Amino acid sequence: MYNDKNAQTIVEYIQNFTRKNSLFMLAYGTGCGAIELPATLTSRYDAERLGVRGAATPRQADLLLITGYLSTKTLKRVIRVYEQMQDPKYVIGFGSCTINGGMYWDSYNTIKLLDKYIPVDVYINGCMPRPESVIAGFKELQSLIAAGKADGAAKYKENLEWYRENQKKVLKNWPLVEYNW
Amino acid sequence: MNTILFEILGAIATILLAFTVGMFYGGARRKIIARIQNRVGPPVYQNFIDVIKLYSKETSIHHGAMQHMGPVFAITASVTSLMFVPVLNGGGWFWFDNLSFSGDLIFLVYMMVFGSLGMALGAGQTGNPNSAIGVTRGLSQMVGYEIPFVMSMVALMTQFHTTSITGMMEIQAQSGTWMMFSNPFAFITAVLAMLGMFHYSPFDIVHAPAEVASGPVSEFGGKYLGLMMSSGSIFAFVKLTLFVNVFMGGASNLIELVVKTFALYMIPVLYGVTSPRYRTEQAITYFWKWPLFFGVISLLWAAF
Amino acid sequence: METSLIKEELLAQQLQNAFENIVTEAVRKDTVFAYASKEQVSSILLYAKEKLGYKSLAHMSCIDWLESDEFELVYIIWSPETKLNLFVKTRIDRQNPEMENMDMIWRQLNTYQREIREMFGVEFPGFVGEKEFILEDWEDAPPMRRDFDTLEYVNDTFFEREGREDKQDVRERIAKRSGEEIPDFAKKYSRE
Repeated sequence: MYNDKNAQTIVEYIQNFTRKNSLFMLAYGTGCGAIELPATLTSRYDAERLGVRGAATPRQADLLLITGYLSTKTLKRVIRVYEQMQDPKYVIGFGSCTINGGMYWDSYNTIKLLDKYIPVDVYINGCMPRPESVIAGFKELQSLIAAGKADGAAKYKENLEWYRENQKKVLKNWPLVEYNW
Repeated sequence: MNTILFEILGAIATILLAFTVGMFYGGARRKIIARIQNRVGPPVYQNFIDVIKLYSKETSIHHGAMQHMGPVFAITASVTSLMFVPVLNGGGWFWFDNLSFSGDLIFLVYMMVFGSLGMALGAGQTGNPNSAIGVTRGLSQMVGYEIPFVMSMVALMTQFHTTSITGMMEIQAQSGTWMMFSNPFAFITAVLAMLGMFHYSPFDIVHAPAEVASGPVSEFGGKYLGLMMSSGSIFAFVKLTLFVNVFMGGASNLIELVVKTFALYMIPVLYGVTSPRYRTEQAITYFWKWPLFFGVISLLWAAF
Repeated sequence: METSLIKEELLAQQLQNAFENIVTEAVRKDTVFAYASKEQVSSILLYAKEKLGYKSLAHMSCIDWLESDEFELVYIIWSPETKLNLFVKTRIDRQNPEMENMDMIWRQLNTYQREIREMFGVEFPGFVGEKEFILEDWEDAPPMRRDFDTLEYVNDTFFEREGREDKQDVRERIAKRSGEEIPDFAKKYSRE
């Protein structure tokens, strides 16, 4: 019974369906993009009809939004928050700053490339992305989850050494906790 | 042997009924809030999706034994109180003769506090400062609403010389009037206390996400949060059914039950949607003003 | 319209009379500059605060004059009675930057001094304050100094997205493609 391929696919299908339709989003405003979220969540664009709703703590959240630039100081907290979240978990990178540094491409205290430090499932481009593109990003993530391709967390576990090396290059004297998942 | 089997089956069916109804009520509440805020809102079955997702999440948080026990206490309290509330007139539902006895109203008043206390213990172990603040707020608010609630219940118990819910229902069936009409002040007191019992806005100071990061549950994710959501929806059903039984003459079939409980449920929901959150001391003073006043009047009504 | 600078000239004259070797200048409305040596700054500030009523410290700032190998420290103070801003400026050696600690005159100088110590490497002997202000674990040269090469540091520390190494200036290409012309005032911002 447990090795039955069909039974497993049905379970997986139900799991992916519920996961994609119930995204608890950690409202952690790191950069200027956080100002787009109230518009996304309130009456005009209403992300709750897609099942996206805010979670107050990382323990309850599925989705981490990196809304804009990350200074190295914020990166420390983001990594800690990301590691506190429970599997399965997804990350959306917001705006050009997370993609290639954006307008902070030569700033000494903001990182340029987010997916070297934590795995990113979906990028939303723009500076800043409007609520329409944010919702398009949610939809994109939902289709990835439905296809079972949003496996950033698994990637992070597999390549933890590589990520840790990159993180330690920026965060020199910061104790990175060794979590046992 | 067969009777025990049927009893167990009936108990499970009752739990499922309470869970389903509570979940749909939660979904309806979210939909109503969304419509009032001019949004489309999630589908009515959204809470089911949330709960299934939460149960399928990995949960690897460990803060100590009590932290694992907290959600279990919560759901134990909900299910236990459900077992003592007659779902329909003259007993339970689906072969299930519920566990009512002559003192079950007093027992329920105690049992409804038990879940919160268990949660407080569990949240205390996590060591999260937000949990501690949330627990303090929750217990203060409980002191606020328990007093008017107990006053209204005591008024009814002394007036009709019965401490069982089925007894109350029989009295209503005999006299032909609901207790919300024969004892209006007790009803008003109980409804005002119910506003606080549901922890909805404006009395959501316990879970206030913007202030204390969802309070006691801030360290609980995944399956524990799922357990708590299930416990919350069962508990909502318990409270509503208890109020319907005591004040609105119970229900003779499921449709009547759903109609009556939903009508009652709209009071905290609609009151909540239109009111912003109180501060802790405002909430407690709220309960200790008008509900207490009506409670005293209902006691006098019962005495004379 | 010509504005008279009577109040400003008066303040400049007052300071000129009180101190030797000080250059004062009423630059514009509500603004007076006073150039002083490093040793005089504390007495000027105290004099302005106690005698002239310049009670409020608005800002303290630092400017890196790389060409003349100097740092310029600027203290901006303000008087609620005369509504004038007094800029007290001094230049200090860039190789061994040291300035008197003055957070006993205004407590908020503590914060400014922490920032300037971190961002420019100016030392304030006898100054008690947390070592770190904004940066954490900073091991390089102070980042606001002009000889700190930000781009080199960024290239060493952070990653580059693949395919973006050449950093092409696509502005002209886009302008040509869409048939628009870059206006003259914008041409000076070209990277060439």
